[in-house]
Amino acid sequence: MPDTAVGSAMVINAKLRSVLMRKLIKNRALYMMIVPGLLFFVIFKYIPMGGLVIAFQDYQPYTGILNSPWVGLKHFERLFSEPMFFTILSNTLLLFFLNLLFYFPVPIILALMLNEVRINAFKRIVQTVVYIPHFMSWVIIVSISFVVLSMDRGIINELLVMMGLEKINFLMSTEWFRPIYVLQIIWREAGWGTIIYLAAMAAIDPGLYEAARIDGASRMRQIWHITLPSIRSVIVVLVILKIGDVLELGFEHIYLLLNSMNREVAEIFDTYVYTAGLRQGQFSYSTAVGFFKSVVGLILVMSANWLSKKAGEEGIY
Amino acid sequence: MPKKKKKFRTLLTVITAIAVMTGCAGNTANQNTPVANQNTPAANENTTAAVVETPVETKKEPLKIAMMAGLQTPDVPDPTIEKMVEEATNTELDIQWVPTASYDEKLNASFATGTLPQATYVGLPSLISLRNAIRNNQFWEIGPLLKDYPNLSKLKPEVLRNTSVDGKIYALYQERPLSRQGFIYRKDWADKLGLQAPTTTEEFFTMLEKFTKEDPDGNGKHDTIGLADRSDLIYGAFKTVSSWFGTPNNWAVQDGKLVPEFMTPEYMETMNFFKRTYDAGYMNKDFPVTEKQAQHNMIISGKAGVYVGSLGDVGSLHQKIAEPNPNALLDVHSKVAAPGKEYGIWAIPGFAAVVLFPKSAVKTEEELKEILAFYDKLMSPELANLTRWGIEGKHYTVEDGKVLPSEDRAMFEREVKPYISLQIGGISIIEGFLDAKRPIPSAAKAEELIQDNNNYLIHDPTPALDSATFTQDGARLQELIKDATYKYMLGNIDEAGFKAAVDQWLKQGGQKIIDELSSSYAAAQ
Repeated sequence: MPDTAVGSAMVINAKLRSVLMRKLIKNRALYMMIVPGLLFFVIFKYIPMGGLVIAFQDYQPYTGILNSPWVGLKHFERLFSEPMFFTILSNTLLLFFLNLLFYFPVPIILALMLNEVRINAFKRIVQTVVYIPHFMSWVIIVSISFVVLSMDRGIINELLVMMGLEKINFLMSTEWFRPIYVLQIIWREAGWGTIIYLAAMAAIDPGLYEAARIDGASRMRQIWHITLPSIRSVIVVLVILKIGDVLELGFEHIYLLLNSMNREVAEIFDTYVYTAGLRQGQFSYSTAVGFFKSVVGLILVMSANWLSKKAGEEGIY
Repeated sequence: MPKKKKKFRTLLTVITAIAVMTGCAGNTANQNTPVANQNTPAANENTTAAVVETPVETKKEPLKIAMMAGLQTPDVPDPTIEKMVEEATNTELDIQWVPTASYDEKLNASFATGTLPQATYVGLPSLISLRNAIRNNQFWEIGPLLKDYPNLSKLKPEVLRNTSVDGKIYALYQERPLSRQGFIYRKDWADKLGLQAPTTTEEFFTMLEKFTKEDPDGNGKHDTIGLADRSDLIYGAFKTVSSWFGTPNNWAVQDGKLVPEFMTPEYMETMNFFKRTYDAGYMNKDFPVTEKQAQHNMIISGKAGVYVGSLGDVGSLHQKIAEPNPNALLDVHSKVAAPGKEYGIWAIPGFAAVVLFPKSAVKTEEELKEILAFYDKLMSPELANLTRWGIEGKHYTVEDGKVLPSEDRAMFEREVKPYISLQIGGISIIEGFLDAKRPIPSAAKAEELIQDNNNYLIHDPTPALDSATFTQDGARLQELIKDATYKYMLGNIDEAGFKAAVDQWLKQGGQKIIDELSSSYAAAQ
């Protein structure tokens, strides 16, 4: 009995395989087209992952990956017993959630507003103006904020003094670091973020709006009942993708804002890897830190995807 | 419907346009660096051609030497001088210029990937972190070979010892004055307010106070401050002022044991001095995040009147201040001491950077000897002067046996200045190495003070000592102290908070560093 079962399973398998082969051959041109993409991922994303083994070694450049001694989880133990560990973990997560909570809705609102503009010239000018900051490097944005927020004749502090208020040490305080970080992101990225939403809104069937208008729906009603539901799946996908970027909080951005006075709120995994790894040459340890960071990111993406499927939306996989 | 479609089309156009724009922007940005880097190799190829064509064709093939050196100017230098050096030494140089600000990262990355060039320039902190690799036989030992070279053999043994690992010498060094520290101040302001050059820290404090409060620029506004400082506890004001209070230079030896400077009462006094100055508003409020350029600008624009740091900076400050403030007069001074203390000033270990020869790039001892021969020639007075001052008649003229640099500072920066970082040795050992004539009185005085500092040096006892923990974790642990020092000066933590940070330092490996250095010290005695 079991023999025949296995046998029939094999027959079915073989049949499936031949169908698959036939399809592969038939559409070979199409399949060839994904080869470059696959190669890209294999060469630049998968092969380098092999380097992760140095997280479990005492890697020394002159002995190389093959000959460096294995030390198991030593570097992970060191990371978890590091006094800074919980600070870094909570800073990373907190900055990410602030980012999600305050930055993420802004492009949606901005896109809704732009979508309602009826004068095309005006709309295009506004679009261009809000895109521009995206092309500025963080160095420039942070330098501008330094000049504006400085205690020594920074314009904001001068205004505060004129209004009879106390000067605020924006750049070197633990309280102001997070608001400044989020505001800078909004200023730089909000306009750029509207592109995808505007594209999604342009694809909505105008008939829906027409029907709603005939039923006497106001502008706000139309936005609420037509525009937003139509772009919902786009929003969900972007949220999940954003969560995948939990680890890309912007090393450059934070590194530029980081100083001795705000380190306890500003140090994140990226900056820590940089100081420990590149500046001090602790390659194995910083690889372990980066590895741990990726695991945190993976868990977040998977839970977000699971949640979105639970809520009846499509996930990203 | 058509309207919608049209709108969508415009949107698409915008997206495509922007995508193209970003694409292009990305490309140009990426290309910038390689092009800049390629400058040198391209220039090299030209040179080889030139060398080969010259009648000295009977000479053997030029020796190819790849090197990595720090770049202190914004641009990669003009290759004229490089060509002249190549011709004089029959070599073909491939110099990889790396901006000094990111040099250590680049060094670590090259080391990690095994791509260090034949001659690698390394500063002191990196030299310490490379000790393990040096011990593991990754670099050529050159100590026994030096005596065969007439110029290299003149390198001072006591400085070479400071670069040594386990008593063996692996590096050639670049000489720098032992201590260039002091302060630069607005003489015209001081004269106006009736102030003498301060000799005690209290008088120094009074100068900062009056520069802030008594309107030294006479514009009727309260818009000046005393001290302009930057985010650098070593080359900024902090370490120099700490010497005035008698703080040891990084480490002190007490009863045969090593004690870190931040565990001494003098360090605390220094922090208190800065805290007092900061709280009173006599220095820039943003000093923990101020860059060197911004600090200089405060002096140049007449916002601040005192600059503590390298006395040599007075030359460029003098030139730049003349434009916005034609009446400004800068003066220099060095000897300040806290009440009851003698003047002393911290010193570097006698070198700025060293050259190491990685075995991964220099394959044979023959090759090493040839490279050393190149450096021997580079230490000849002709080439030392060429790399330091440029071409006579173009970049400088000689007056009374001294160099008078050309007025065109921009040309000097573009064509000569970067090559200073290739030099080996220095004025104290190269006979015939020209000194500069300093037409600016304050710059001439600065030079005298730098010489005079040699009588009051406070040395760091540790460069030749060894501690495995210090090699591995020293830099990271130092961050704890740096953060705590700033926080204390700004009033975010009190003395107990600072002590807590020091305890953290001790617990996380500091105690081990102390013990290891102490036993290394005992062994060296």
